[in-house]
Amino acid sequence: MKAVGARLPRYDGVAHVTARSVYVDDVRVPGTLVAKALRSPHHHAAIKRIDTARAKRLSGVRGVVTHEDVPNNVYGHLEALGIPADEPLLAENDVRYRGQPIAAVAAEDSDTALEALDAIEIEYEERPALFDMRNALDPDAPRMHHWGGVYPHFGPHNHRRVRKGDVEWAFDQADVIVEGVYRPQAIEHCPLETQIALVVPEAGGRLTIYSCTQAMYFSLGVVAAHLEVPLNRLKFVGGTVGGGFGGKVDTASETIAALLALKSRRPVKWRWTREEEFLASSTRAPWHIEIADAVTSDGWVLGRRTVTLHDSGAYARFSPYGVTKHAFHHTGAYTIPNLRFDGFVVFTNRVPTTAMRGFGVTSVSMAVELHMTRIAEVLGISPWELRLKNANRIGDTTANRVAMQDPSTVPVTLAAAERVGEKLGPEYAAMTADRRSGDLLPEHLVAQQAPEGAHVLGNGGGS
Amino acid sequence: MQLNVNGVSRAVSSPPLTSLLEVLREELAVLSPKHGCEQGGCGACTVLVDGEPRRSCLLPLAAVGDARITTVEGLGAPGDLAPVQSAFHDRYAAQCGYCTSGMLLAAHALIERKGGPVDRDEVLDALSGHVCRCTGYVKIVEAVMAASRGQVGAEPIEQPLAPEPSQPEIEIAGSPA
Repeated sequence: MKAVGARLPRYDGVAHVTARSVYVDDVRVPGTLVAKALRSPHHHAAIKRIDTARAKRLSGVRGVVTHEDVPNNVYGHLEALGIPADEPLLAENDVRYRGQPIAAVAAEDSDTALEALDAIEIEYEERPALFDMRNALDPDAPRMHHWGGVYPHFGPHNHRRVRKGDVEWAFDQADVIVEGVYRPQAIEHCPLETQIALVVPEAGGRLTIYSCTQAMYFSLGVVAAHLEVPLNRLKFVGGTVGGGFGGKVDTASETIAALLALKSRRPVKWRWTREEEFLASSTRAPWHIEIADAVTSDGWVLGRRTVTLHDSGAYARFSPYGVTKHAFHHTGAYTIPNLRFDGFVVFTNRVPTTAMRGFGVTSVSMAVELHMTRIAEVLGISPWELRLKNANRIGDTTANRVAMQDPSTVPVTLAAAERVGEKLGPEYAAMTADRRSGDLLPEHLVAQQAPEGAHVLGNGGGS
Repeated sequence: MQLNVNGVSRAVSSPPLTSLLEVLREELAVLSPKHGCEQGGCGACTVLVDGEPRRSCLLPLAAVGDARITTVEGLGAPGDLAPVQSAFHDRYAAQCGYCTSGMLLAAHALIERKGGPVDRDEVLDALSGHVCRCTGYVKIVEAVMAASRGQVGAEPIEQPLAPEPSQPEIEIAGSPA
């Protein structure tokens, strides 16, 4: 363990401070064409006609592609997990968010590429759009996704569920019920390096793909699936990313650039403008989180009911995974034995949302921590002591029944209290993460405890 | 026309309204200035023009004339780092590295102008038009202050230069372009 506690130089540090690090935009290949995309000006519309004939005839244009050129146009990011596909690489019959790509061109220079986009004729029939996920299940909500208002493929359910303990009992026993609604909003990752790919057709028929992806093997799979080529036809070069924060896991640029490289038989670079990045790159999702807790007047949280709406935007992408993580973390750093959680992936006419620094977890952590403080205010007790009392302990079980081996809530809370000079009662100041006993093991927390040494409890009565 | 880049006169033939960023990157393969926003907002394309930080994405070639252009390639190389480059490396001030070129040049210009130790407010002012999405700026500000004091090399960091939590965050004072 020579590295622990040592000051180690960054392996790429000298390259970064001398600007020798090679980002995708720094790769120079002679004869590289410039790619540009035609994006939907509408939030929701039917596409009645696409005519690229005039664009193809322009001098300097080397390739124009639409959905007709994509071997396998509709793909799903989680198909490997059995989650069906719903998103076209290039829009075909309809557009479901403003900025959705419909066609792309490769040309000798940027001005010619933009001129070609202007020459593509598209006839739209605008449709009503849905922007507020809270309205997605209204009977008169605009219908925008072929699966309906919500993603329907959580096993036999149309939403992610957690059922643990006896939540009815908890609400019967409660002295107080504390309710709250929490609504973290969309955030653009805004990396300094915009989405970018450079695709070079090699002599042997392979494509070399310089990619800004954060998820090389995801991207490899996505490109191979859309193009219907074996993985060994694709050589990915990556690893130097100009900021991602989760926004570069969606394979935003590689596939369309590869399609244009195949079409034109030339190297193609597609670098999004900052405007495109803000308009059409994925964002962190907006969430709508409703929590009701069954609480005793001395500060035990007996049970929790949660309904979460996750704004997936126009397509599913990784959202079912995000909501699943959200479900697992919906009690946060605290042990609540009786739970009923229902999390919906809701479709809207917004840009599809994706991972950002703690996918699905930061949103629920914000809600849980605000809610704990709210409970303390309602009860008139210390928010520190409320947290320590309900803190995860060794042998407690999470919402999805994992037995905790080394929970950090108690030491972290005590360290935070010390740093801000918070004086705690002696029984709280002396607390540890050890298994519950005595006053900290009231009757309602006995059944949720895992036996000594157990890692996961059985799924009895669960989702 | 001729362009004076890092002390070398280079012939260029781009049209006069081409941005300096495009000329440097596409015609001369000087790659340290980066495309960040191409509208003067992020600072990633910053170069020094006669020693002053300028946004190369907004600067037409015709406006450069015979001014001296300095990029990170002219600041120092591996094995021969300028103080500000050493300090960024020692103190982990470059994370993804994409904003680093602009940060380095703005910091270098500040240190040259001041000729001695710079204080925190001066660093915040000089870097106010430079966006970093990775670091939260703390290590960058520390590195610039350290560089201005000659605190570079492998020596350990004895005194953290991070602000007290009560001090305000960076205030954007406008673009220096």
